[in-house]
Amino acid sequence: MLIDMGTTGGRVLMALIVLGFFVLAFGLIPLLQTLPPQGRRALIAIVTFLAGLFFATEFFLPLTEDDKNFLTPGVVPAQRVLQVIGSLALGLGTYGLIRLHLRNVVQKRGQWGYSVVLMLAFLTMATFSIWNTLAEKKLVAQPEFQKRGFTLLFDYTLVQLDASMFSIIAFYIYSAAFRAFRVRSIEASILMFTAIVVMLGIVPLGAYLSDHLLGLPTQVSPEAHPFSLESILYSLRLTEIASWLLNQLNAPVQRAIEFGVGIGGLAMAIRLWLSLERGIT
Amino acid sequence: MDWLQQFLPLNEGRLGVWIGVVCTLAIYSILYRENPFYRFFEHLYIGLAAGYSLGPLFADIIYKYWVDPLLKGEWYWAPVVPFGLYLYFIYNERYGWVSRIIIGLLIGASAGLFFQAFSSRYLPQLNSTLAKPLWITDANPDMVISGVINNWIFIIFLLAVLTYFTFSFEHRGAVKRVATVGRWFLMIGLGAMFGNTVMARMALLIGRIYYLLSDWLGIPVGGG
Amino acid sequence: MQTERKSFWDRLLTIDRRWLYLALFVNIVVFLLLPLRLPAVVSGPVRKFYNAMERLQPGDMVMVSSNWSASTIAENQPQLEAVLRHLMRKKVRFTIMSVEAQARDLSLRLAQRLAKEYGYEYGRDWAHFGFYTDLIVAIKGMTNDLHDTVKQDVKGTPTRELPVLQGIQSLKDYKMVIDVTPSGTVPDWISYRPKNLIVLYCPTSVMAAEAYTFLDSGQIEGMLTGAKGAQEYEQLLGVVGLGTRFINGIQFSHVLIILTILVGNLALLMKRLAQEA
Repeated sequence: MLIDMGTTGGRVLMALIVLGFFVLAFGLIPLLQTLPPQGRRALIAIVTFLAGLFFATEFFLPLTEDDKNFLTPGVVPAQRVLQVIGSLALGLGTYGLIRLHLRNVVQKRGQWGYSVVLMLAFLTMATFSIWNTLAEKKLVAQPEFQKRGFTLLFDYTLVQLDASMFSIIAFYIYSAAFRAFRVRSIEASILMFTAIVVMLGIVPLGAYLSDHLLGLPTQVSPEAHPFSLESILYSLRLTEIASWLLNQLNAPVQRAIEFGVGIGGLAMAIRLWLSLERGIT
Repeated sequence: MDWLQQFLPLNEGRLGVWIGVVCTLAIYSILYRENPFYRFFEHLYIGLAAGYSLGPLFADIIYKYWVDPLLKGEWYWAPVVPFGLYLYFIYNERYGWVSRIIIGLLIGASAGLFFQAFSSRYLPQLNSTLAKPLWITDANPDMVISGVINNWIFIIFLLAVLTYFTFSFEHRGAVKRVATVGRWFLMIGLGAMFGNTVMARMALLIGRIYYLLSDWLGIPVGGG
Repeated sequence: MQTERKSFWDRLLTIDRRWLYLALFVNIVVFLLLPLRLPAVVSGPVRKFYNAMERLQPGDMVMVSSNWSASTIAENQPQLEAVLRHLMRKKVRFTIMSVEAQARDLSLRLAQRLAKEYGYEYGRDWAHFGFYTDLIVAIKGMTNDLHDTVKQDVKGTPTRELPVLQGIQSLKDYKMVIDVTPSGTVPDWISYRPKNLIVLYCPTSVMAAEAYTFLDSGQIEGMLTGAKGAQEYEQLLGVVGLGTRFINGIQFSHVLIILTILVGNLALLMKRLAQEA
């Protein structure tokens, strides 16, 4: 049941429908405002429950031969709705940021000059970014100055600033390792020893030190007994110790954490789905 | 002279590299001390990052999933954005609660999807743990003794750390000793994470220094 | 009143941190310039990654989930570059998708650059699906109906008109997904993918330790750990990429950090002994 957008009437009808939904959505708010607090909580809880019910039921219902049940066709439209709402949610972060800095500028709060820089950078980049992505889809023209401007802003500026900003953490980690990493307990000793073995064992230097400093064998013959001297010496290589540590000692620890997170996550998911968690809805 | 011509920002590509270098050194200036140069570029970065995200958000999501279908006559998608905009009332004291309707939609969907995650993510790990052979039998003749020992170590580590994480009752006696050992084993996992974290952060810095040495100064880097 | 002279260890413990920053910077510069290339010992997860890729046949379909931004470019770019080289070398079809805004353009530009080298044509041999805000529902949607979920590629071409997607109806028709990411997206692929879809993982080193449990259970078939993993993979491919160029800086910065931790603890011990004396 589509509207024929090839005709003027169709386009006007579509415009009216979109406008109508905007009016409905915002017109509904004063009506919703009349709901008492329990009514508001109930409405939110119902929306939350129905959203979760769809996906939970779609998963639990048995599948037919073609891997579907009667709810499966609803997954793709639901996906679209959630993508759009998700993008509006991401935009909310940007909205909050701009709101804050705009207020700084209007009210001339401390260091509001930097807020001007931020706003100008935001507006320029937003223009070029939206223009670039629409031009990629051939919806708008892309003059040469737009291409070069986007390259200047994205490749030469944003990428470099982003990479630099996160790279300075290395300096802080190094400084913290010197000032704060103190071996005062069994736990700290175990942590430090493991970290040292992993840091040396996973890089080529670990193999080099095992070969040339410790003189350990570089390989073991397949027929060698697991407890022969050759096998034992081979397993003392930094690379082998690091690998064993990661696969045999670290893996069960991470699995235990996964189990804890999984059970906690399931409990939290049920609580959120049933709106039992206060402060969220 | 050739080197100088190649080094200076005399064409667009080189100008871009110089801009990148200025950005890098401006950010690194904070390591010496707080200064307006750093603050300027910090705010520039935040503005650019926030502005950039609007492009993909609009073209790849809003346009593709809402505007384009409407332009094709699919009128039933019309309510999505108007009601989705309820999110933006979050900053309003009087009407802020309506944003929780849409937040509830997102939370409910995530919660409903978690059951599949629990089934596909965690149960196979439980299965894998329970399937580890703890002795050699006719059912697994290819198993070697070192593999069996490793499996026992795996199970012991797993149970000890799980005991440490069990907070439903007070740890006393043998349980407390097992939990203490579990905490030591946990340190192994954290040590491995620390070692890898150090490597990650160093790599990010090395990437930047590589850019300065190779792209800007043109020095061959990294083992020739 | 005489002021106490600070001992060497006291002064070392209270050293201005800017000297430490300089020491790290100089260390990395010196060892990056070092004309030394130590061969990598290829670890188990990288070997499994390589073997899984080698089992792909020309014409197979692979999804590359590229979710990194410039903040982790030094770790994820070498990984993605090596992976795309291998895919193109094996004449495998692939599509790229991103759930991070910057990743969209970064992966698109990288793939376009490499495609020229290998004679890969956009639309015929590879495509980019663009940016998505929600990975989980995108995976679920693509598992059911890829064309209705994705609708159009990053250039606005309807997916049904792309030659590269001939014979592809959903993710079930893909052989493999390769997740190149600095964040926790691989559990989403593991949780919601079609059962037959192999998952390969390219995390930053920070995320790698947590993934060993997935490797053990077989939910991930192989893994490249950061730039170091990229170096091992490049060695198997016989290419010299960024992973190989970074490794000297990485390993000798580890040595510096280990020595620094030891010196810091030694200084504290010596200070304590001096105080007790």
